[in-house]
Amino acid sequence: MPAVQDTIDRVRKIDVDQYKYGFETLIEMDKAPKGLNEDIIRFISAKKDEPEWMLEWRLEAFRRWLTLEEPTWARVDYPKIDFQDIHYYAAPTSTPGPTSLDEVDPELLKVYEKLGIPLREQEILAGVQKPANDDADPDEVNDNAAPRRVAVDAVFDSVSVVTTFKKELAEAGVIFCSISEAIREHPELVKKYLGTVVPTTDNYYATLNSAVFTDGSFVFVPKGVRCPMELSTYFRINEKNTGQFERTLIICEEGAYVSYLEGCTAPQRDENQLHAAVVELVALDDAEIKYSTVQNWYPGDAEGKGGIYNFVTKRGDCRGDRSKISWTQVETGSAITWKYPSCILRGDDSRGEFYSIAVSNGHQQIDSGTKMIHLGKNTSSRIISKGIAAGFSQNTYRGQVSANRKATNARNFTQCDSLLIGEECGAHTVPYIEAKNSTAQFEHEATTSKISDDQKFYVMQRGIPEEEAIALIVNGFVKDVIQQLPMEFAVEAQKLIGISLEGSVG
Amino acid sequence: MNMHAAPQRTPAETALIDAFGERLSLLPGDGDVMLKRDNAIEQIKAGLPTRRIEAWHYTDLRRLLTTVQTYDGTAIAEPMTPLVADATAISLLNGASSAKLPKVDGLDIRRLKDMLEDGSFSAALGARESDDAVGALNTAFVADGYLLDIADGAALAAPVEVQNLHAGGQAHVRLPVRVGKGAKATIIERQSGSAPALVSSISHLTLGDDAELTWLIVQDQPEGSSHFGQFNAELGKNSKLTLFVMNAGGKLVRQEINVKAAGEGASFTLRGVNLLAGDTHTDVTMVLDHAVPETTSTEIIRNVVTGRARGVFQGRINVAKYAQKTDAKMACNTLLLSDEGEFSTKPELEIFADDVQCGHGATVTEIDHNHLFYLMARGIDEKAARGLLVKAFVAEVIEDLEDEALVEALEAMLDGWFAAHG
Repeated sequence: MPAVQDTIDRVRKIDVDQYKYGFETLIEMDKAPKGLNEDIIRFISAKKDEPEWMLEWRLEAFRRWLTLEEPTWARVDYPKIDFQDIHYYAAPTSTPGPTSLDEVDPELLKVYEKLGIPLREQEILAGVQKPANDDADPDEVNDNAAPRRVAVDAVFDSVSVVTTFKKELAEAGVIFCSISEAIREHPELVKKYLGTVVPTTDNYYATLNSAVFTDGSFVFVPKGVRCPMELSTYFRINEKNTGQFERTLIICEEGAYVSYLEGCTAPQRDENQLHAAVVELVALDDAEIKYSTVQNWYPGDAEGKGGIYNFVTKRGDCRGDRSKISWTQVETGSAITWKYPSCILRGDDSRGEFYSIAVSNGHQQIDSGTKMIHLGKNTSSRIISKGIAAGFSQNTYRGQVSANRKATNARNFTQCDSLLIGEECGAHTVPYIEAKNSTAQFEHEATTSKISDDQKFYVMQRGIPEEEAIALIVNGFVKDVIQQLPMEFAVEAQKLIGISLEGSVG
Repeated sequence: MNMHAAPQRTPAETALIDAFGERLSLLPGDGDVMLKRDNAIEQIKAGLPTRRIEAWHYTDLRRLLTTVQTYDGTAIAEPMTPLVADATAISLLNGASSAKLPKVDGLDIRRLKDMLEDGSFSAALGARESDDAVGALNTAFVADGYLLDIADGAALAAPVEVQNLHAGGQAHVRLPVRVGKGAKATIIERQSGSAPALVSSISHLTLGDDAELTWLIVQDQPEGSSHFGQFNAELGKNSKLTLFVMNAGGKLVRQEINVKAAGEGASFTLRGVNLLAGDTHTDVTMVLDHAVPETTSTEIIRNVVTGRARGVFQGRINVAKYAQKTDAKMACNTLLLSDEGEFSTKPELEIFADDVQCGHGATVTEIDHNHLFYLMARGIDEKAARGLLVKAFVAEVIEDLEDEALVEALEAMLDGWFAAHG
């Protein structure tokens, strides 16, 4: 559709040249040599102090990976990746834990400052060790920091720098730590769940990740616990020629609830960097997991040079009856996005949701969507996807909804809408709808359309001027998704998308 | 299909290659025609497409094509009663054209066999792409067909019915059609037979500027048959094409529809009805190119799935760069009536222009219980009520055809199908 000037301007504002997080931090790093082989995997495993079974698991994945071919079915185009030209491990050189802000590497501090993380939180993020009897009262921390508490796990290149609010979470029975720590401290949980949603054999990039993942977050919410605060992981790629391979595992036991947020940025560089993550969610009976992402990796410059290749496998398993998993994503960054957060609706009466806003500009390529696999009885799913393509970008929604033979009364509603700004971009929709059960009810709708005169007339005849009327309608275009985000992220997402929401009522 | 070379030939692949060796000397045409046939069989030698080939995602031909009937020179089909009484009927009986052709003002009919023999048709032969298995199969074996040429400005009073009939074995035909500027006509393509067979039929339509054409494909192959149809069309300026497809038979059916709106102001309407019963696997795959500005299209596909039938609809709408003001809408609705039935849909949009209105919708569901209750509350028993609802679901699409005689004839076929499978 020919977008209104206001919208065009705002999208342009977040054009690739305007990337705010493109700075690089010079910090002393401990790196593995370039290349990928069994020795590198042993090196990573040793660095992480991992038990033998974990190393074996990695090596098995690596051997499997060697037999796989890179997938080519996505609507993305990029030069072949040289997997031997990447550092698979890079971490800030560890020094004895600083005890005050003054002792923290000022460069590391600057990173968090520039990324806009509040000061009080910053102290925690930089790994400041509190004196034992300091006002460690969690409530006070809360009062001083922010109106709402968000526990953060900060991942800097290959390692988790720090995890906040651990103590208070532990009191509630929630385990929130880096995955490396979980492998050491809670091997029984990791062993039980790791790789059960995304097996090591799943796909090219997931298999690679299984072999070389360096860090990520681990969340375990025990039976009946409602996680007392939002959990969040902040991913930052800093080092040159590195790949980031993080692994996140979230488990919600019976009746538990957690809301998890993920954010990411990277410096501006001419060469492409690879980010291949795996996220696994497990929801048991009556559990609910809400997973939100604001993805803002460096998208490359105006000519399409540089940027992150974001090849991610995210999958949630609604293993228990009446469980619920909800994915919300705002995708604005990355040169290439290849990402399909999915739900396996295994438990009876389970529910999966996917809300997505994908904004592409410059030479970005997005091929993203979801899979809703209905296996249990009375399962339902809902997909809302909004794609906005500008510049020379290509924006594809690719999704699958399937009902197994035994999935009686499966329900799905899918809506994908696209907005095109300019003549050089493309928007595509590729849904796969597969019903093997007569009681399944699937609805799919997709549109690519201009704001109709009828809509405009309807609003304007109520005394609203044209510009505002258009803003109102555009607002409606993304509202369904924005509404699903936790409050802090909703604000960030709105800024990021830059689509006018002014002048709208309410 | 070259990308994933088959490790070992399936019996069907071997049968096709062997059949080519046996039939070769009897197929019309040499020189360029033979070269095209050779290339086509090479394509088949490389392996039939599997589900890894995106265009065949839901129809793994390599796995599904299990039987290749042997060509049978003695089996000769009988012409059938035309769908509408006044139609001009021409038939292809077991893949062979007739020397006795009707004379109609404004319509020129030629036998394709002659054009294959003298080589004048060689340029139009061949597969479209490396994944065009239907094109390859047909090119290798095509022996006959008709070329229809409707003169500029001609308005044919009666529909032309082309019958492709067989009594078992194999039949491979082509049907090139040119409709002149401003001409008006209705063409009915019947695909049927009396015994299991392997059939391929490809038509090429060139629709002149301002021409208006209604084309019906009515396929009711007998059980055990494999039917591969391909309809290709290019639409001129301000031309109007209404295509109606009805699939009501066959074991393995693939009907491809490739339409290019190549002239500004062109409009395309597709109405499809798939009545799937038994253990049929029926795949309708459409690719629609909006290549120039100001073209419109609407597609409605209605499917009824019973028994152990599997249905597929893939529909892709491409809007080229600068094809502004395109208006394209597609809907695919499926009634899944049995627990063992399956339906898969892949409606795609590929859009490279910004000032367009495009949309697609797809639904899969069972009969609405409220509707059923409404009818049953009025004293109609469940079976009859279901029958009424299913018929209404399909008839709605048939009634979009404005010609009453055609609507009546198709509804009669519908009743016949329901009587047999309902």
